Amino acid sequence: MAVSRYTKLAYDCADDMVFGFAKSPVSYGFGLKIGAGYVIPEINYAPRPGTEKEPEKLRREYVDYITKDILDRAVTVGFPNVQLETEWVSQMNQAKLSAPVVAGQQEMCEKYHEEYGLNCGTRQTIPDQREADHGLRPGMDSLHAYPEKLFECADIACENGCNNLSIESVGGKEFADFAVTNGDIVAFLFGVGYLGSVDMTWLWQQLVDIAKKNHCVAGGDTNCSGANVSMFMAGGMMDQDVQRTFSAVTRAIASARTLCAWECGAVGPDKDCGYEGPIVKSIAGKPTTQEGKNCQCAHCDLQGNLIAQCCDLWSNESVEYHPEFGGTSVQCWFGSIGYEASLMNTAIQMKQEKVLRDLYMYSDRYRGPEAYILAYDHAYEIGKAIAENGNDLYLRSKAAGMKAVEILLKGYESKELGLTTKQLETLQDINKKLSALPDDTDKFVEWAVKEYKDVPNFSMKNYGF
Amino acid sequence: MLSKEGADFTKVLKRYDIETQVSLSPEEMAKKLLPSDEVFRKVAEEVLYMRFKTVGPVVMDALKQRNPLDVINQGLVAGMEAVAKLYAEHVYYLPEIMMAAKTMEIGIAIAEKQVPGGRESKGTVVMHAAEGDPHDIGKNIAAVMVRSSGYDVVDMGRDVPITDFIAKVEEVKPMFASGTALMTTTMSAFPTEAKILKEKGIEIPLMGCGGAVNREFANSYDLGIYSEKAPQTPLIAEKIRQGYTWKQVRDEWDSIVGGQ
Repeated sequence: MAVSRYTKLAYDCADDMVFGFAKSPVSYGFGLKIGAGYVIPEINYAPRPGTEKEPEKLRREYVDYITKDILDRAVTVGFPNVQLETEWVSQMNQAKLSAPVVAGQQEMCEKYHEEYGLNCGTRQTIPDQREADHGLRPGMDSLHAYPEKLFECADIACENGCNNLSIESVGGKEFADFAVTNGDIVAFLFGVGYLGSVDMTWLWQQLVDIAKKNHCVAGGDTNCSGANVSMFMAGGMMDQDVQRTFSAVTRAIASARTLCAWECGAVGPDKDCGYEGPIVKSIAGKPTTQEGKNCQCAHCDLQGNLIAQCCDLWSNESVEYHPEFGGTSVQCWFGSIGYEASLMNTAIQMKQEKVLRDLYMYSDRYRGPEAYILAYDHAYEIGKAIAENGNDLYLRSKAAGMKAVEILLKGYESKELGLTTKQLETLQDINKKLSALPDDTDKFVEWAVKEYKDVPNFSMKNYGF
Repeated sequence: MLSKEGADFTKVLKRYDIETQVSLSPEEMAKKLLPSDEVFRKVAEEVLYMRFKTVGPVVMDALKQRNPLDVINQGLVAGMEAVAKLYAEHVYYLPEIMMAAKTMEIGIAIAEKQVPGGRESKGTVVMHAAEGDPHDIGKNIAAVMVRSSGYDVVDMGRDVPITDFIAKVEEVKPMFASGTALMTTTMSAFPTEAKILKEKGIEIPLMGCGGAVNREFANSYDLGIYSEKAPQTPLIAEKIRQGYTWKQVRDEWDSIVGGQ
């Protein structure tokens, strides 16, 4: 699949971005239309520990219990649409475990679509188990053959009928871990912004081909292994691991990486845990999945309302299957995201969607630096900075980071955004470091390879160099 | 965009991080924390201010005036203890811990060479991320903190097969072992590992950690103890060094991680 980089934005202005509407809607599954004027709840789940030990046990868990419970609840409550996301547990890299799950979920979805007219479908998120120390490309990992297994998983998912093929790819993870723990923004830029984008470009061309061959939709990716590590280590108001200005800038840089899937021909929606969704949506106009206040079963973030502002699917991130007072956990959390989607869809029908969007956005705009840069007007600005440098993986990542710094400093100086002394110092330090970098990609890469030669498990061979 | 004119966002959210921030600088706090002896103080400052490029010459200079074990314990380790206090007070954060630890390790490596028979460690700890689990950032941070507290760490990395872990424990006979898991389907390795260790008569505490693991799970099988966050691990390690069994650690967990 050819790669086509984005050099302009899909939207004429930030105000055009609103939940439920994407410039390029996507249809798949049993009647699902994503980004076509309404928001769809996407429910994600994990099987109970131990069920992964036997294929039949795992199939029963995913299909007869989890899938059936969700679809039943949709009918019970009257939700017209639902997308299920199965994030494969690592053991599902064996076809005997994964194939019956994928096929069984499809069969169940079809049944409910035929019986009740429920629009539904599945996203299969295959595991990327590649390890930098063993090698990220086929032929390199003689111990586990994880790169080969990744593509086998894509084949299994698509051949057994998955509707949306997605992944949380790990290219650049060795740098993300190093950068976050050492507070090194340039390492993040090089590892995630540049090398991670190189890896995603290589990976997604192949995933798109596999999906197309099997008439599946190639969805998207996320920088969960980088920007989310950064965000969750930055944590809440009183945590003390990573500065939240640092995490905000990593989010901006990560968006330049996440975009690569769509540049390789994936059509969306991308992954829920990619909080960079508003930025990439502004560039590509493809549907995005987001998670926030209704994913408290898995994540506690500081933009629970704001992040709903431009979503097309609304997710709970993940919940382990177990009983609750109100039903099973998947039913309870599906109820939570489903009713939120209903509210957004009511706003659309009453032509109040921009009002609700702005209420969501203002509710968290000043809660912290990451929320501030993800507010749709700022996300749009970062998207613009990326698109203006769209053909160069390094320059666009750097531009995204610099724009985030500029937005945060401006917000602080105008007294719109509060920062602690330490958050401000970190931001100023990031500004200094990013500003000092060259504008020549070759020069930067040559320098970075030497500068970071001791980063654990770093090898340019992993990225095809 | 809606106008925000007239809206009072203090009625919407509270920035506890800004309101409670510590106004003291590391330099001001250090005055109370660093050793009074000038030679040791200079060494400790290298760690406190993360000067990993200059710690070598400063330690070499100190070694001319003081014995190597004292340079380590009263200089380098004292500096790291000050870093830990600044971390607890929200003056320092994770990157400072990592850089200070790196600085201390450079200094220790130099001073150790002059200790006859080598420096005695507080004990050995085996650390790993569970089989099938590629997430190891938490384990890496905990390893730095445990190592900084004077223990030898055998870091087995991530996605460690159960059999390899058991073999390593049998080989190095650690004071305790720890495992991290971010996935609910990989944390099941810990009860399996604990069962095998018990069958082999190895009654060491097996610490379960990581995003998927909670205290209830870690306490649900024999040998299992819990550490919620990396900075708690050295506190628990200290109790185990004092002779606490896995049962005692469980019983007194709240007070141990509370620093008592």
